Amino acid sequence: MKLLAVTACPAGIAHTYMAAEKLERTAKQLGIEIKVETQGSIGAENVLTPDEIAAADGIILATDKGIDKERFVGKPVLECSVADAIKKPQELILAFKEGNVPVYPPVSAGNKEEKTEFSPRQPRSQHPVYRSLMNGVSYMIPFVVIGGLLIALALGIGGEPTAKGLMVPENSFWYPLLKVGEASFLFMVPILSGFIAYNIADRPGLAPGLIGGYIAANGSFYGSEAGAGFIGGIIAGFTAGYLAKWIKSLKVPKMLQPIMPILVIPIVSSVLVSLLFIYVLGAPIADLMTGLTDFLKSMQGSSKILLAMILGAMIAFDMGGPVNKVAFMFGAAMIGEGQTFIMGALAAAICTPPLGMGLATLLSRQKYEKEEREAGKAALAMGLVGITEGAIPFAAADPLRVIPSIMVGSITASVIAMASQVTDSVPHGGPIVAVFQAVGNVPMFFAAIAVGTLVTAILVNLLKKPVS
Amino acid sequence: MVLSDLLTEDLIIPDLKGSTRDEVMEELVDRLQRAGALRNREEYVKALYEREEQGTTGIGFGIAIPHGKSAGVIEPRVAFGRKPEGIDWNSMDGEKAKLIFMIAVPEEQAGNEHLKILQALSRKLMDDSFRDSLLHAKTKDEIVSLIQTM
Repeated sequence: MKLLAVTACPAGIAHTYMAAEKLERTAKQLGIEIKVETQGSIGAENVLTPDEIAAADGIILATDKGIDKERFVGKPVLECSVADAIKKPQELILAFKEGNVPVYPPVSAGNKEEKTEFSPRQPRSQHPVYRSLMNGVSYMIPFVVIGGLLIALALGIGGEPTAKGLMVPENSFWYPLLKVGEASFLFMVPILSGFIAYNIADRPGLAPGLIGGYIAANGSFYGSEAGAGFIGGIIAGFTAGYLAKWIKSLKVPKMLQPIMPILVIPIVSSVLVSLLFIYVLGAPIADLMTGLTDFLKSMQGSSKILLAMILGAMIAFDMGGPVNKVAFMFGAAMIGEGQTFIMGALAAAICTPPLGMGLATLLSRQKYEKEEREAGKAALAMGLVGITEGAIPFAAADPLRVIPSIMVGSITASVIAMASQVTDSVPHGGPIVAVFQAVGNVPMFFAAIAVGTLVTAILVNLLKKPVS
Repeated sequence: MVLSDLLTEDLIIPDLKGSTRDEVMEELVDRLQRAGALRNREEYVKALYEREEQGTTGIGFGIAIPHGKSAGVIEPRVAFGRKPEGIDWNSMDGEKAKLIFMIAVPEEQAGNEHLKILQALSRKLMDDSFRDSLLHAKTKDEIVSLIQTM
C-alpha cells in the first residue's frame, strides 16, 4: 500500500513538519510507504507529482488552512486537522487499510458535506465564512496598499485643487503614478471576491469569483452610476464560491467528469453570478442611488445636524460603494450652488474610517492579524489624503463590528464639522484639503477629524476580540 | 548546516534556574550573548517578544521554541535549556514546557535558514525517545552527543 499526505498549518513553522514527521514514522512502523508534502512558510516541499497521486492508494490531508484539493479528485481522501495527524497518525493510516475512506469529492445526497470522524475541530474564529472572508481580504490587502499609497502620494505631492476635485495634471511626473494606483484599485474588489470563492470551491471558484467581483464593482453592467463596492464584491464572492461548490457536488456521468473543473463549473458559475448581478441586484442598486439622491435633496432646509448625521453614516457605510458615492456627489453638487458647508462635513467624515482603523491597530495590536496591522499603517497615510478605501480590508474582514464603528466615527466628525461651520470648496476629503487652503474654519476641521478618528478607534477596539 | 554547529556546548543549560517564561528567556539570552552571538541584546529580545506576541512558541509536547530574527544578532545560534518541572508557556496543548530551544537569526539572513533549523528541530522532536533522552540525559556531554545525532 502506498499513501500520500499533505500537511499545512497556518504559521507553517513547526506543526506542519511535526505532523509530517509523525505520519512518516508511523507509516514506517506499520510497513506502509508514504510520501508527505509539507506546505510551510518556506513553501511547498517534497511536492507530490501527478504520477505519484495517480499511483497512490489514498491521500491524507492534515491541514488547518485552505489548500488546493483539485489534484486529488477521484482518489480516496481523508481530511483532518494537523493536530489529528500529530496525535493519532495510526488511526488515520489504518482507515485506508480498512478501506473506509470516501473518494474525493464526497458525493452526498444533500448540500451537506460528508464529514469523516476526523473532521477538524473548528474554533469559533475559524468559522468557514470567516475563513473565506479572511482569505479574500489577505489577497486584497496588497492591492489596497499599493493603490492607496500611490494615489495618496500622487495627490499629496502633485495634486491641484479644481472644481472637479483634486486633480493631477496630465503632464506631471505624478500622473503615471496616479494611474498605476488607480489600476491597482481596479483589482481590489475582483481579487477580494475571487479569493473568497477560491477558498470555498478551490480552483474552479477563482475565475467565477474574479469575474463576478469585476461586474459587481462596475455599475455600467447594470446601468448604475456606481458599482456595488466591496459589499457587492463579498456577495459576488460567496455566490460564485457556493455556486461552483454546488455544481461540483452534482453527480455527472463519468464521461463528463474530466471537463467539469476546467469547463463546466467555471463557465456555468461565472454566467450565473454575472446574470444575478446584472438582472437581480443591479437594478435595485441603481434605484437605491436615485432614491438616496432624492432623499438628500429633500433633506435640504431641514435640520443641518440631522443631514450631517446621515451624510457621515453614508460615507462610511460602503466606502466607495453606491451609498458613499451618492453622499459624495451630493456634496460636490452643492459646492456648485455655493453651499460649501456640506462638503466641509463630508471632508471630515471621509478620512476618519482609515485614520480610525489605523489608530485602532496601533492601540490594540493583539486584535488584528499581522497583515491587518500592516494595512493599518497604510490606512493612516490614505486617511491623510482622504482615501476612505483604506479601511476596506478591515470592513471586509469583520463587517459587523467594523462598519458600525466607522459609521459612528464619521457621523461624529461630520456633525462636529457641520455644527462649527466648516466649509470645503474642493470636492475631496481628508486633512489634505486644508493644506490646499480649500477649508474654512481649519481648527474645527481638524478637531472634527481628531474626535471622529478617536471615536472610531475606541469603538472598534471595544467591539473586537483578540485574534486567536 | 547541522544543528550541532549552532548549538554548541556553551549554549546548553541542563538545569534552568528561572521558573517563569521571562526568567528563562533572560537566562538563554545571557548564554547567547556570552557566546558572542549578539550585537545588540535589546533588539534581539524585542524580536523574541514580538514573536511570542503573535502566538506562543510553546508547540506542545513539553517543548518551546522561542525564536527571533533581528539585526541585533551576528550569526545564527541556538541555545538550549531544560526545566524538568516545566514552565508555563501558554502552550497549545496546555502542557508546560520542559525543553526550551531559543533560536537567534540575523536580520540579513532573511531567507530560510532559521526556518530550516526550526523545521529540522520540529521533526526531530516528534521522536518520543529523543525527547525523553534529552530530558533525562545526566550530563552535558550526553546532551551534546544527542544533539550531534540530529
